[in-house]
Amino acid sequence: MSSLAGVPSLVAAQEAAEHAAEGGAVNLGELIMHHLADSHEIELPFFLGVLHLPTGWNVNLGPLGVVDFAPTKHVVFMLLAAVLCLLVFIPLAGKARRLEPGKAPAGVGGGMEAMILYFRDEIVRKNISHGADAYVPYILTLFFFILFMNLLGLVPWGSSATGNVSVTMALALCTLALVELSGMQALGVKGYLHTIFFVPEGMPALGAAPITLLLAPVEFVGKLTKPFALTIRLFANMMAGHVLIFALGGLVVTMGAIGAGTVAGGIGATALATFVMVLEVVVAFLQAGIFALLTSVFVGLIRHAH
Amino acid sequence: MMQTERSRGFSRVAWASALGSFALVLGPTALAAQEAAEAEGGNPLFTVNFALTIWTIVVFALLLVILKKFAWGQILDSAKAREDRIQNALDEAAKLQAEAAVLLEQHRAQLADARRQAQEIVNEGKTAGERVRKDIEEKARTEGQALIERARKEIEREKDSALDEIRKESVDLAMAVATRLIKEKLDPEKDRKLVVGYLEEIGRRDNSAAGGKRA
Repeated sequence: MSSLAGVPSLVAAQEAAEHAAEGGAVNLGELIMHHLADSHEIELPFFLGVLHLPTGWNVNLGPLGVVDFAPTKHVVFMLLAAVLCLLVFIPLAGKARRLEPGKAPAGVGGGMEAMILYFRDEIVRKNISHGADAYVPYILTLFFFILFMNLLGLVPWGSSATGNVSVTMALALCTLALVELSGMQALGVKGYLHTIFFVPEGMPALGAAPITLLLAPVEFVGKLTKPFALTIRLFANMMAGHVLIFALGGLVVTMGAIGAGTVAGGIGATALATFVMVLEVVVAFLQAGIFALLTSVFVGLIRHAH
Repeated sequence: MMQTERSRGFSRVAWASALGSFALVLGPTALAAQEAAEAEGGNPLFTVNFALTIWTIVVFALLLVILKKFAWGQILDSAKAREDRIQNALDEAAKLQAEAAVLLEQHRAQLADARRQAQEIVNEGKTAGERVRKDIEEKARTEGQALIERARKEIEREKDSALDEIRKESVDLAMAVATRLIKEKLDPEKDRKLVVGYLEEIGRRDNSAAGGKRA
């Protein structure tokens, strides 16, 4: 663990040292930003150099202007996470299909299955009571996709796409779409409109109308704040962890640069970075779980709004 | 059932169009945000990149479709099948246990019944034996009594005949003595009558005395 954990901080430290050797002042903040921000370059493992991604996949979207759809670093790591999901779960499905009826399941797949069944029983079924099973594939895909993206940021030379606000916003928008469409499907158009235009019961129309009009913007904004909170929560958690790890790695170099470097200080900073790294593994699972949990909570809420 | 039918028809059309339309709604906002941030020279970390957002939605949607078709279905179905199998096995076991309990109860009842019957048979045997024993005893007692009675009667008879014998003997003896003593003086026939009459009187007295003693 410690050797793995140490590597990203070492990468940061090495680059800072290179900067220092070139005679430039060590700008740690700039360095961290460079590592967190999306770019068209990917640092290859084992110091194999830098992979330059293509640019200029320009598409003219008319009124929206010209947009460059060329894959960036975060797109690559997102695709990697998606491929990892496929590589883990499709063989698992094959194994599940081949299992003979009278035989007990065995092997590593059981661990994944335990997580899958936990999500089905404790997250989806508990929050969306009837018709819950239709949402299980969505929630499972969401959880494992986010989890793999989170974990890829902890691998040496890795980068987590969930540390990018565009990615988390896209996922939150998918959740928004799922929630609102589930609401329409469960409540019907009239029932769904009532979730925006709240009509208090047992009041004369003259009294109810102002309340409805007054509450409509509140209800509408309420719908948008949920995905907004999801976006910021996941993005901020992932980014903060990376900033912390890089900052602790950079601390060694900074201390050296200002002449305050000691062996004990270096070891202390590295140990602290290792600890934060372990914490980040927990956070990676936790935030993926929270995203999936809240998505099912929102779906459950709107389906049972009366 | 109708609910699920409707929802399936609903979702097929809706999901794709929804994701698309949300992306379209998102588009101007994202672009505006991006341009605003760039214009202000804002932090690139907080800038929404429209292309990346579309990439994410597309990758996520594709992943969802592929995993739903090739992974989640089979995994969840096999888990469901296994749960059903285990539940069935448990139900079956519970049923069998209930049956076994009923059988055990029946066996216990049968065993108790058999034990009770055996006890009855033993008791019957005992009373029958007792009766037989009593009968035999009774019979033996009456037979013994009859035997004793017969023996007593025999003794009585023997005693009577012995007494007659003695009487006869004593008459003869007395006659002989009396003949010798008063041979000449007396007419033998008259004397004899006298003596016999006298002896009979004695005999009656004796007899009545003996009868009183025996009672």
